[in-house]
Amino acid sequence: MLDFQHDILPLKNIIFRTALRIVLNREEAEDIVQDILLKLWERRRELERVENLEAFALTMTRNLAIDRKEKMDNRHVTLDQRTHDQTDEESPNADSLLMAQEKDRFIANAINSLPEKQRCILQLRDIEGKTYKEIATMLNITESDVKVSLFRARNEIKEKIIQKKLLFL
Amino acid sequence: MDYKYIEQLLESYFDCRTTLQEEQILRSFFSQEDVPGHLAEYADLFKYEVEAKEEVLDEKFDQRMLNLIAQDEKQKTCAIRMRTRHFVPFFKAAAVVAIAITIGNAAEHAIGEQEAEENNATAISPYTQASEVQQIIRIKDVSQAKTKPKNDSIIGITTTDGIQ
Repeated sequence: MLDFQHDILPLKNIIFRTALRIVLNREEAEDIVQDILLKLWERRRELERVENLEAFALTMTRNLAIDRKEKMDNRHVTLDQRTHDQTDEESPNADSLLMAQEKDRFIANAINSLPEKQRCILQLRDIEGKTYKEIATMLNITESDVKVSLFRARNEIKEKIIQKKLLFL
Repeated sequence: MDYKYIEQLLESYFDCRTTLQEEQILRSFFSQEDVPGHLAEYADLFKYEVEAKEEVLDEKFDQRMLNLIAQDEKQKTCAIRMRTRHFVPFFKAAAVVAIAITIGNAAEHAIGEQEAEENNATAISPYTQASEVQQIIRIKDVSQAKTKPKNDSIIGITTTDGIQ
């Protein structure tokens, strides 16, 4: 029998970081963690047969996070349209808040401006230390697909590092 | 100091040929204070990779989560109760209908019985009436004086007989 505190709750941090890398907003990411943990708990009986609970949880997390990110972006579009007519006081753009927090965090910005799939793979490999096989399972793609995306992601960042170096020379 | 190994690892890293262990070596190397100048530009990347893993949710989150789980369990039992409560009006309506039908049936049955009794009464009456009539007639025969009221009933009975 799965125990919430021992089996499900410890997944919170990796779920949080993965969700945060996709939605780029702390509050939204925390909301996602809450929803995913609750869903896992509700499905605890069928999950006893799942071999890798963490991989399963991260697949769920990515799907939900992509969905929420889309909704957030749509909301921002309508907000932006409204602010053309109104004074720009209400609900500050969540993305710009995050950008402000990480203004001088060059690397974070470089990673966060990658396409979603690339930054998600980079997160799982370089920050979470997952194998290509694990990532392939989580994202339901082939291992070579994972490598191709990771290659692009790492080299895009390398490119930005070199550009920055040239700018400051 | 020779940094060839690190330089090679770095090249492999960008070509996605490093193992997880080798990537860990890179992170450890770049975490140290004195990274040589020509490699320094990559230090931020590997330092960030270490820092980003320190992003965690605090105990307040745990507490909130545990409360939610407890609440969820409570709500589920409530939901089951609510579900039955949802049908209460239907149960009531069904009960009313059931009572109405029972009463209806009972009433119909009672009326039926009454009618049947009445029918029986009228059906049996010819004999009883016949004997009564005979009696009355005998009384009549005996004394003519007190027959007046009895006569009415005779007429009544005979009329019902007539209807039959």
